[in-house]
Amino acid sequence: MPDFLPAWPLEANSFLIFGLLLLAGLAGGRLAAMTRVLPAITGYIATGFILGPGVLGFVDTATLGDARLLAEFSIGLIVFDLGRRLDLGWARHDRWLLPMGLAESVLSFVAMFALLHYAGVATLEAAVAAMIGVATAPAVVLLVANELKADGPVTRRMLWHVALNNIVAAIGVTMLLPFIEASQSGSALDPIARAAWLIAGSFLLGYVAFLVMVLLGRWLGKSPVPQFVLAVGMVVATVGAAQLGRLSVLLALLVLGTCARNLDRRHRLVDVEFGRAAHLFFVALFVLTGATLAPHQFGAIAWVGLAFVVARGVGKAIALHVLAWPAHISLRQAGTLALALTPMAGLAIGMTRPIYDVAPEFGARLTAIVVSGIAILHFLGPVATRFALIRAGEGEPRARD
Amino acid sequence: MPDLAFTSSAALTLGVELELMLVNTRDFNLAPDADDLLRRTTRVAPEGELKPELTQSMIEINTSVHQAYAPLVTELRATRDVLSGHARKMNVALAGGGTHPFQKWSDRKIYPNERFLSVSEKYGFLAKQFTVFGQHVHIGCASADDAIYLTHALIRYVPHLIALAASSPFYQGVDTAFDSSRLSIVNAFPLSGTMPLVRSWREFNRYYDRMYDLGIVRSMKDFYWDVRPKPEYGTVEIRVCDTPLTVDRAAQIAGFAQALARWIWEARPIEAGADLYLTHSYNRFQACRHGFAGTVIDAVRGDARPLADDLRETLDVIAPHAQMLHAEAALDALRASIDAGNDATWLRRTMDETGTLADVVRHQADRWASS
Repeated sequence: MPDFLPAWPLEANSFLIFGLLLLAGLAGGRLAAMTRVLPAITGYIATGFILGPGVLGFVDTATLGDARLLAEFSIGLIVFDLGRRLDLGWARHDRWLLPMGLAESVLSFVAMFALLHYAGVATLEAAVAAMIGVATAPAVVLLVANELKADGPVTRRMLWHVALNNIVAAIGVTMLLPFIEASQSGSALDPIARAAWLIAGSFLLGYVAFLVMVLLGRWLGKSPVPQFVLAVGMVVATVGAAQLGRLSVLLALLVLGTCARNLDRRHRLVDVEFGRAAHLFFVALFVLTGATLAPHQFGAIAWVGLAFVVARGVGKAIALHVLAWPAHISLRQAGTLALALTPMAGLAIGMTRPIYDVAPEFGARLTAIVVSGIAILHFLGPVATRFALIRAGEGEPRARD
Repeated sequence: MPDLAFTSSAALTLGVELELMLVNTRDFNLAPDADDLLRRTTRVAPEGELKPELTQSMIEINTSVHQAYAPLVTELRATRDVLSGHARKMNVALAGGGTHPFQKWSDRKIYPNERFLSVSEKYGFLAKQFTVFGQHVHIGCASADDAIYLTHALIRYVPHLIALAASSPFYQGVDTAFDSSRLSIVNAFPLSGTMPLVRSWREFNRYYDRMYDLGIVRSMKDFYWDVRPKPEYGTVEIRVCDTPLTVDRAAQIAGFAQALARWIWEARPIEAGADLYLTHSYNRFQACRHGFAGTVIDAVRGDARPLADDLRETLDVIAPHAQMLHAEAALDALRASIDAGNDATWLRRTMDETGTLADVVRHQADRWASS
């Protein structure tokens, strides 16, 4: 065979696999859209699930590892965008906003913890799993909201709650780290320092990144294109810096976004829309997320996951309904808000990574507990958020790109 | 047959309707929060009345009926403060201005009540494009024939009112080169324009009955005229003003209209004839396009002169009437604005200083809440 021809059998490279994954995700999204009930995200996730190692095996574990970079980047953009929705001035004017957000986080934690404890899960594992469950998946809610062109009081509150419950969960999990490590090694001094470093370091990194961003923003002026590149550049650099410093990517980017919203007093930064460019990465992210799911997660242990999901939803719903009257929101808004907060993706946003770092066995046991809940919510979550935003009258069901 | 009885009201009483925009505080685009704001005001309500408008990012303030300018300002300021308080708790803001500078009309949602849905059905894309914000001033009339005369005579001063209130230089993300681009949107409606040249309420009723019988209108609300009689309130309604950037300016314009009406009724300076309408479209365009720098042509006198000069002269002529009505302060402020520039000037200057239309809206919202 002439040597200018490719070697046989052909071996797919990462580009080809990634490109095909994107196109397959696109097809899955289109099929989901045709149902008029499912959001496109559900199609992306289902495509990944079917093509992934769990079912057809078209994508192997090594490819998933390669694609991690891409996933981190997509999540980075989403979390930064979420931080920009956390208007602290709003909490000053509406004195019930923060108590309501905290109550929603605390009550869902209590409900999930109580359930796991009752089911015989060890206290610490139950606490960490419940803490992970507090967070609502930022990527899912933002994407569903964008897909429906949703805007209004419920959408705005939803994004505020998501930002807050992610911060609560990230700090909560980090604070539990010393106890996890102590349970392994018996000594907690070093882990306390580690937790302090993770939280303080992540906040500091986010703040410093913000200062740099404002300086550059001032120099660049307010043209949208340079500001877009600035935002993407700062997000990518912050993801890298957080990984380098073994800090929390999630916290650092939330802080960066929150500072951009609240501390940019001279309005040097433009609130750029990531739009279609980012959507490309989001398709990939959800196809990959689907590919990490395995069929057995829906099998024997699924009932634990299901109970976990229900407890979580009940906790959030009770908090929101009880505080609806003083917070001047209607019961209908409270109900749709609780439903909209359903998606959960604690694993995808890297919350368990520090746990694997300090205690791999503990991490594996934990994953076994929460993974079925997360697997279920990957499919239920986007549908619930879509339904809630349409029911709140804020999403346009026919709005598709 | 419809009943078009004219409810008599105390002459020269005053009321204002203001259509306001609701914007989010993140990117300052329009926010579809009218329903939520109206729901909240059932617990802490301002004076007057609040109503939804055609699309979900608009609300309308209707003041109570007033005798004079001063209590009108007081009420408008109090209403503004109550609404701003609610808006802050909702993480949105209210703003004046005749158009939102960069919203995309196709993104708007029709407010889901029967009347607005039928407007949307009838007018297609014009309904969503009608997400523009105007100030309407009502002047009380003792009799229906007084209302007909005033409706005609005010046509002479429509350019002046447009220039004083103009606050819509930006539309759909561009500088339109107009001081008031809002009225161009109104022009697209088939029943916009002016009342026909009828001389009495009886004649008006004949016209109205014919339009009704032909199936063109179902109520007075179907006429989108620049100035129209409003028989159920017993008023004449001036509809050409953009919503100004502040409640104070809104009240000043109402005070000007009130003094103007007093002068018109007492001096009968205008003849309601064909000449009045001959130049109306031209003068109106001049005011929309150039504001105070426009030219007005008076067909009766047969001359053309700068709008600013004609306005200053009008302010001088009606000054004694403003004094009788305790509205001198309103006229003084308006006179000062001829040199300082109207709200359209302020918006363009803010754009030059800040560089983005989102920043312009932010300043617009701050100005509404604080001055």
